[in-house]
Amino acid sequence: MFWTPLINFEEKLGASLGEFAGWKMPMTYSSYQEEHMAVRTKSAFFDLSHMGRLRVTGKLQEFENLIAKKISDSPPGNMIGPTAFLNDRAGFVDDVMTYKVSESEFLVVTNAINREKVINWIRKNSTLEVQDLTFDLVMIALQGRGIWEVVEKPDLSPLQFKLNAKFEGHEVFLLSRSGWTGEDGVEFWAKPEVAQSILERLIVRGIKGAGLVTRDSLRQEMGFVLYGEDIGEDVNPVEARYWVYSLEKDFIGKSALLEILRAGVDKLRIGLKLPKNQRVIPRNSSKIKIAGKEVGYVTSSTFSPYLSRVIGMGYLSSRHFLVGGNAEVEVRGKDYSVKLSDFPLLK
Amino acid sequence: MSEIKVGKYVLRSDLLYTESDEWVKLNGTEAVVGITDYAQKKLRDIVGVDLPKRGQRVSLGEVIAVVESVKAAADIYSPLSGEVIDVNEELVSSPELINKDPYGSGWLFKLKITNPEESKKLLSAELYAEKIKGD
Repeated sequence: MFWTPLINFEEKLGASLGEFAGWKMPMTYSSYQEEHMAVRTKSAFFDLSHMGRLRVTGKLQEFENLIAKKISDSPPGNMIGPTAFLNDRAGFVDDVMTYKVSESEFLVVTNAINREKVINWIRKNSTLEVQDLTFDLVMIALQGRGIWEVVEKPDLSPLQFKLNAKFEGHEVFLLSRSGWTGEDGVEFWAKPEVAQSILERLIVRGIKGAGLVTRDSLRQEMGFVLYGEDIGEDVNPVEARYWVYSLEKDFIGKSALLEILRAGVDKLRIGLKLPKNQRVIPRNSSKIKIAGKEVGYVTSSTFSPYLSRVIGMGYLSSRHFLVGGNAEVEVRGKDYSVKLSDFPLLK
Repeated sequence: MSEIKVGKYVLRSDLLYTESDEWVKLNGTEAVVGITDYAQKKLRDIVGVDLPKRGQRVSLGEVIAVVESVKAAADIYSPLSGEVIDVNEELVSSPELINKDPYGSGWLFKLKITNPEESKKLLSAELYAEKIKGD
C-alpha cells in the first residue's frame, strides 16, 4: 500500500481516508455532497498523488507509434488528451493525458492502477526511456466554477502547461490549466512541502478539501470514464465512444481499430438517469433491460448532488441504443425505471 | 445518557447493539432502531434508504431495510421480532441524517416487540465497544 505524502496534513484538515488502486488517499473531508457542490459553485482542492506520472524521453516517432492521438502537430507546452495506449485488439492498456515538453520529451499521467503496467508496456514496445516521477512529486488539482476568486490565474489557455512555473509564491515542477471535473482550474506537480505551503495559503482564502468520492461523482456527471470500471483491456474506444485516437497516423492497435470501425460494434456506452427520489444505486454489472429483455449492464453509478438524482453509465447493445428512451435497471432483484441519456449528464 | 468513544467511533451507554451494527433503544415493549456511528462511518456517504412499511411484521434477524451509500448497499436486520409501528419518513428525502446524527434524527424505524426475551441476546455498549475496538 502506498500513502500520499500529504496524509498527515490532510488528516489534520479532517480527511477521512480510504484505499483506492493500492493507495491510501482522502476519500471525503466533510461530506462528498458538500464538496461536490463546492466545486460546481465555488472551489476545492484534490490530492491526486496516486496518479502515475512518467517522464518519457526519446524519439518522437517512437512515442507517436505508442499513443493513439497525434502529438507531432502540437507545439511544446500543450497537453494532448485524453488519449490512450491501446493493445493490438484496440482495447485500452490505459487512458492517459500526455504533455509535450519538447520534440523528444513527454510527460504521461496514467491511472494509478496502471502505472507499472504502462511503464513495462512502453519499455516493451519501444526504446524510449521511462522515468517514474510518481513518488517524488505530489499532484494537486484546484478546481471550481469560482476558482479564480481564490487562486491566482496563470497565463495559460486550457490544456497548456509550464514547467518550473511560479505559482502562488512558489516554484512548482509543473503547472497546467486542466482538471477532470468539468470545471475550470489548474493542476500542479510539486515537492510535498511546496504543495503543502501553497495549500495552506489557499485554505486561508477559503478553498476546501475534496476527496476521491467527490472526484468520482464529478466525473460521472460529465460522463468521463474510470479505468477498471467503465473501460479496460477488453473494451475499445468505439464501444466506449471515447474519441482518444487520430487515424491519420500509425500506432499500436490502429489496424484493429479500423476493422472495428468497418464492422461496427455490438455494444455502446450510454449514460443513465434515474427519476428524482428513486434513491437506489445500481452497482457495476447491474442489468439494463428494455421491455423485460436484458440489453446491457451498468459500469458506474452514484448519486449526483448537482442533479439531485442517481446517475450512472454502462453499456447497451447497439441494436438497443435508444438514447432518450426509457429502460429498466435491476437492483437487488427489482427493476427500476431509468432514462437512457447522452453525455454529459450535467446539462 | 453518556457517550462512549472507541477510537473515532461514538457509542451511547443507554442503547443496546447487534453484531450487525444496529442499535436499539428499548422502552417497555417499544424499540427504536437505527445503525451505529461505526456503521455509518464505514458506509460513508449515505444517499438512500429503503424503509419497511408500518404494520409490517418481522422476525429477529430478518432483512427489514436497506441503507444505500455511494460505496455499498447495506442490509439492515431486525434486531427483534415484532411489528413496525413507525418509520422515519424524513430519511426518504434526507438520508444523510443517518451520517449526521445516527443515534438521533437518523433513526430508522420503531417496533412493537412481541418477544421481550429476545432483547437478552442484544449486546451492551461495553460488549459492542469490544467488537469494534481496533477497527
